[in-house]
Amino acid sequence: MDFTGEIMSSTNFILKKLKEYKKEVFELMVVAGKGHVPSSFSISEILATLMYGGFINLNKENLKEKRRDRIIISKGHAAMALYPIFKDLGFFDEKEMALFTKPEGLLRLYADPSIPGIETVTGSLGNGFGIGCGMALSAKKDKRDSLVVVILGDGECYEGSVWETALLAAHQKLENLLVIVDRNKLCIMDETEKCVELGDMKAKWQAFGWDSCDIDGHSINDLFNFLSDWKNKKRAKPFALIAHTVKGKGISYMENQPLWHNKIPNQKQIEQARLELA
Amino acid sequence: MSSPLPRDSFINTIFQAAKLDKEIIFLCADLGAQALDEFRAQLPHQFIHLGISEQNMIDVAAGLAIDGKKVFCYAMAPFVTLRPFEQIKVALAHMNLPVTLIGVGVGFAYDDAGPTHYATEDIACMRSLAGIEILTPADDTSVVQMAKLCLEKPMLRYIRLDRKNLPEVYDGKSIFNNDGVNLISEGKERALVASGYMLHTALEVKKRLNEKGQNFAVLDLFKIKKIPDSFLTMMKPYKKVYTLEEHFLSGGFGSAVLEYCEEKNLAQKVKRIGVEDHYYFENGGRKYIHKLAQIDVDSVLDRILKDLCDEI
Repeated sequence: MDFTGEIMSSTNFILKKLKEYKKEVFELMVVAGKGHVPSSFSISEILATLMYGGFINLNKENLKEKRRDRIIISKGHAAMALYPIFKDLGFFDEKEMALFTKPEGLLRLYADPSIPGIETVTGSLGNGFGIGCGMALSAKKDKRDSLVVVILGDGECYEGSVWETALLAAHQKLENLLVIVDRNKLCIMDETEKCVELGDMKAKWQAFGWDSCDIDGHSINDLFNFLSDWKNKKRAKPFALIAHTVKGKGISYMENQPLWHNKIPNQKQIEQARLELA
Repeated sequence: MSSPLPRDSFINTIFQAAKLDKEIIFLCADLGAQALDEFRAQLPHQFIHLGISEQNMIDVAAGLAIDGKKVFCYAMAPFVTLRPFEQIKVALAHMNLPVTLIGVGVGFAYDDAGPTHYATEDIACMRSLAGIEILTPADDTSVVQMAKLCLEKPMLRYIRLDRKNLPEVYDGKSIFNNDGVNLISEGKERALVASGYMLHTALEVKKRLNEKGQNFAVLDLFKIKKIPDSFLTMMKPYKKVYTLEEHFLSGGFGSAVLEYCEEKNLAQKVKRIGVEDHYYFENGGRKYIHKLAQIDVDSVLDRILKDLCDEI
């Protein structure tokens, strides 16, 4: 099989997984009557490509080993987006999916390390990035080749500590650190550019000493090609991938609508979403 | 020869251990120390100066600690506690990570720098966090033993160092025989309870009270969170205790003692002496600010004597 063929087969596999995966994220919300679906759907293709594309060395066997790669969703309200993938990897029993946010269940609305695969407490914005930076630093000090991937919300970039961390990561040349900025241009109340303009994120990260590029955050092909390239090339700097995304992608009435951030659809809307996701 | 600065003693103890243990990482947010110059020169891979970014320092410390590193975070007391308070809560306390926070210059120690540099709220804030231990050394012996404790029994700790060296109280004796409190000077019926710089004020006040025919005991309660169980026995002989602190009264050292008495249903009366709600911008040195805040030896003495009169 030639390389193109290999990519084709892998991206087909990811696409196939993606469909089921998004349904599972949606059903988590339905079963719990809570959850952040739009924030999860803006990063679905990103997570599916990272995890089902084999770019993250994290599995049931190495879950407790230092040599594993780490994935952190710093925008912690979207932590539920990892649960179906971790279930697939066998980190916990499938029945946990029906117990999301239930006291007897393992999976919580906001993630913490009691959940296998979750590396840190998140929920308060900005912290996951700094903690991920500490992990990348630790790996470099140990001369370990662990990668750290942090999913950062664009609204999260309003937090000043994000830029403190960005400076340090560049200065320490943490080439094992990949930040994927979920550039969905929405925060809870408003469009980011109307609220306080974030502008050209690529230029901002580059100005902070990072390598950076823009990407269509919903294109599995583009994400796959980027990640293949990033993993294989010799890197000298941390990388910020600016993923242009649509909050609520895949459910028409949720797309780009700030009010759906943590709103729960009614039964009719649930049925409509199920049709659209089918 | 005077003893080294508290920060130098503390850092040097960590430095000696770090030479033998690569897992020890020292993070610093732009506060110098003689001992730190040696540390960074000899162990450059175990020292990181993050620039003036305390919030980032705490998050990075958490990432390193999750990965098994033994992390020390070092900055001026108000900047290692209040500035990154939420990071300490989320990244350290929520995950119960064994990181040591070293704060230099508690109370009015950075005299003439003004209230931005004073730490008169740090106890109140830090003791509101679950699972943290807060220690305030009163002399060089205490500083060194506390540094060793942080190495030997790591947990989330906040160490409140003075800016300058304080006179010896323990002279090399073990400070941990009763966990976090020691009887420094015997007395009857009433006791002064303090820590750090204010322990020395308490010892002076005791002398002056002696001249007035009053025999007060002096206790060094150097562990304010969690107040050790031994404090219960230590307090028993006294019908009234006076807490002395270079900190706001709201939620501070005296508050912690009061809450302890309530929790243990103790009959002892507690009188808190500390800084009233006011920010001091005046210059004139630490002793002068203490006068203004009425926590200097003369003021404390007057307040206690007046309180004794009121009792009658």
